[in-house]
Amino acid sequence: MNLGTRKLLDRSFTALGIGSIVIMAMTLLIVLVPIVTNGLGALVFKGTIEHRKMLAAEFNRGDRAELERQTALADSSRKPVYAMMAAFEQELTGMDEPRRQQYQQQYAQVRSAIQTLLGPIPGDPLPALTRSQYGQTRWEKAEERLHEVLYEKKWDYSNPDAPAKEYSVSRAAGFEGTSLVKLFPYVEKNIDRMLMPEWTLYWGFITDSSVDAHIFGGIWPEIQGTLFLAIGAMLFAFPLGVVAAIYFTEYAREGFFTSVLRSANSTLAGVPSIVFGLFGLAFFINTLKVSESKSVLAGSLTLAIMILPTIIRAAEEAILSVPKTYKEASLSLGSTKWNTIVTVILPAALPGIITGGVISLGRAAGETAPIIFTAAVSVGSAIGLADVFSSPTPALSWNIYNLASEHEAASEIRHVQYGMVLSLVTIVLLLNLSAIVLRARISQKLKG
Amino acid sequence: MKHWGRILLVGFLALFAAACQQKANNSIEIDGSTTVGPLAKSFAAHFRKSYGIEVTVSESGSGNGAKSLINKSCDIASMSRSMKPQELEAAKAKGINPVASIVALDGLAMVVHPSNPVQNLTKSQIADIYTGKVTRWNQVGGPDAPIVVIQRESNSGTQETFKELVLGKDARIIKGAETQASNGSVKSRVSLTPGAIGFLGLGFVDASVKKVAVDGVEPSAETVSSNRYPLSRPLYLVTDGEPEGDVKKFIELPKTEEGKRMISELGFINKY
Repeated sequence: MNLGTRKLLDRSFTALGIGSIVIMAMTLLIVLVPIVTNGLGALVFKGTIEHRKMLAAEFNRGDRAELERQTALADSSRKPVYAMMAAFEQELTGMDEPRRQQYQQQYAQVRSAIQTLLGPIPGDPLPALTRSQYGQTRWEKAEERLHEVLYEKKWDYSNPDAPAKEYSVSRAAGFEGTSLVKLFPYVEKNIDRMLMPEWTLYWGFITDSSVDAHIFGGIWPEIQGTLFLAIGAMLFAFPLGVVAAIYFTEYAREGFFTSVLRSANSTLAGVPSIVFGLFGLAFFINTLKVSESKSVLAGSLTLAIMILPTIIRAAEEAILSVPKTYKEASLSLGSTKWNTIVTVILPAALPGIITGGVISLGRAAGETAPIIFTAAVSVGSAIGLADVFSSPTPALSWNIYNLASEHEAASEIRHVQYGMVLSLVTIVLLLNLSAIVLRARISQKLKG
Repeated sequence: MKHWGRILLVGFLALFAAACQQKANNSIEIDGSTTVGPLAKSFAAHFRKSYGIEVTVSESGSGNGAKSLINKSCDIASMSRSMKPQELEAAKAKGINPVASIVALDGLAMVVHPSNPVQNLTKSQIADIYTGKVTRWNQVGGPDAPIVVIQRESNSGTQETFKELVLGKDARIIKGAETQASNGSVKSRVSLTPGAIGFLGLGFVDASVKKVAVDGVEPSAETVSSNRYPLSRPLYLVTDGEPEGDVKKFIELPKTEEGKRMISELGFINKY
């Protein structure tokens, strides 16, 4: 091969390498940017006065006097809306039957749209559900609801042989000639004054419990549950894994039995996580009865079994990579085998072992399938440390799935879901970063 | 290194302190139907607020709820169907005496994409669609487009009820039917697919999908409670033996004024 071809090949390989790195970085950006921007939307957003009312009532937070002043202000701009509605209700009773029926249904829609926008209408009984006791707490949602007050979405079914097309009609046009027609421009013009949006930093999203099935409030129980589960899994898996790795590398004689054990370990690493979940349900809960029902303990044990193979593997590699001369030097000085392992080999292998451990910790925090049947619930409050043996807990990974698919108001609370995703990604990222830092520090110490 | 250790220690202590603030209480655990989920979750929030008793809710399907009750791993099983003979037998074998009480009534709403002009289907038309005798919308008075049939998983009480009420015991749903794992995912699938048909608990129906009248009767609170709507069903909370103490209080929530209002605000229908 002449020099020219070689250079060309070399360059094209470099280009390929750089290209793939760029593609990776772009993919990461495409994935991370929406997570971060939407996730931060759960923490920082334009909150309306309804949000401040909710915080004061549910969490006893915020400046009461200021809130009362603002509520009075908002109420004074809302008053004409309710007055117009009352006037129209009066007008309705005076209408002849066919006209009344025509307006009644339309008016019911307007009324419920106003109610979702501004909260319960004065004079109505207070709703039993917390979610309907307040109007829109977020400005961007309020704008969507405003659109529903002003326009009606309709489908054109005139042609039965083709799929209908969607169109929207102004509600104001439907009330032409009645007193209610003035309501729509008024609401549109004064929506700011009625809801008083302000940029809000809602740090309670991290530290509060959820209110009414995640409609309001925060995700602390989920975060805490995730930490409990991951740390619990580590408490079981890490010591076991390291001991197993020491056995494999230092004590086990190469033979049929060891190779079977080794391949069993590798197979276990490749088992789908849902299998571990079902195993955990059948073994820990139904057979061993470690707890009456789902519990953090059962979940942690299941996760521990799932991450055990990874920890064993990482620890084994780390121990094997310690130079043989260390061991030989130690033994030649008259040290016992156990002493050599504890004082020479393990410290030298520690960075590798810890890296493996922390990466497994991240995986344990993020897994959903193993905890569905063993630990996770969709609603529950933060549990105390004393309850981990008997109580199930909400956890980020499971609740993200729950909010995405099962929740009855899934499309209303996308921001909560994104907030959970961001929290989970942050937790895993922090764990991995701490692994890197820890590893660097220990290596430095060993060198120095 | 020492410095880091101390920070970690402080962090752990803080977590511990935060964790210990919440006192251990005897809690109620509910497992089961995703249809009953919204009700159970709202009741749980109400219960925590008024009595300070912890209630945890899992939504894993009626079948799992029954299994959990039989394995004694939950206090209340929420179910959108009644217990099957096999389940009753299994319960008896384990010394469990399932007692069901109705929490609310629900209509099984047949839903299609809002662009679908079909307004009404008869029960036999629905059965034909789900057994594969009818595969295009124009055979039941719609546009010339294929029907995307959406069903629930075998664990679902909604699925069982649908089979029982519409198809009869022996009929089989066509193999090409798509399976979704919860009411919420059926709703989002139907709202995104112009040719789709699915079934949902009435409490889950919103403007993103279109309800279809069955045998000429629109599903609504009124038609379900008067039993005119053909696909009406009760939703149950099942306990081991007659409920006692806190569990009894929880089971009887639907009879209280607050409970009734929560049920109707969530779009379900009061039994009492």
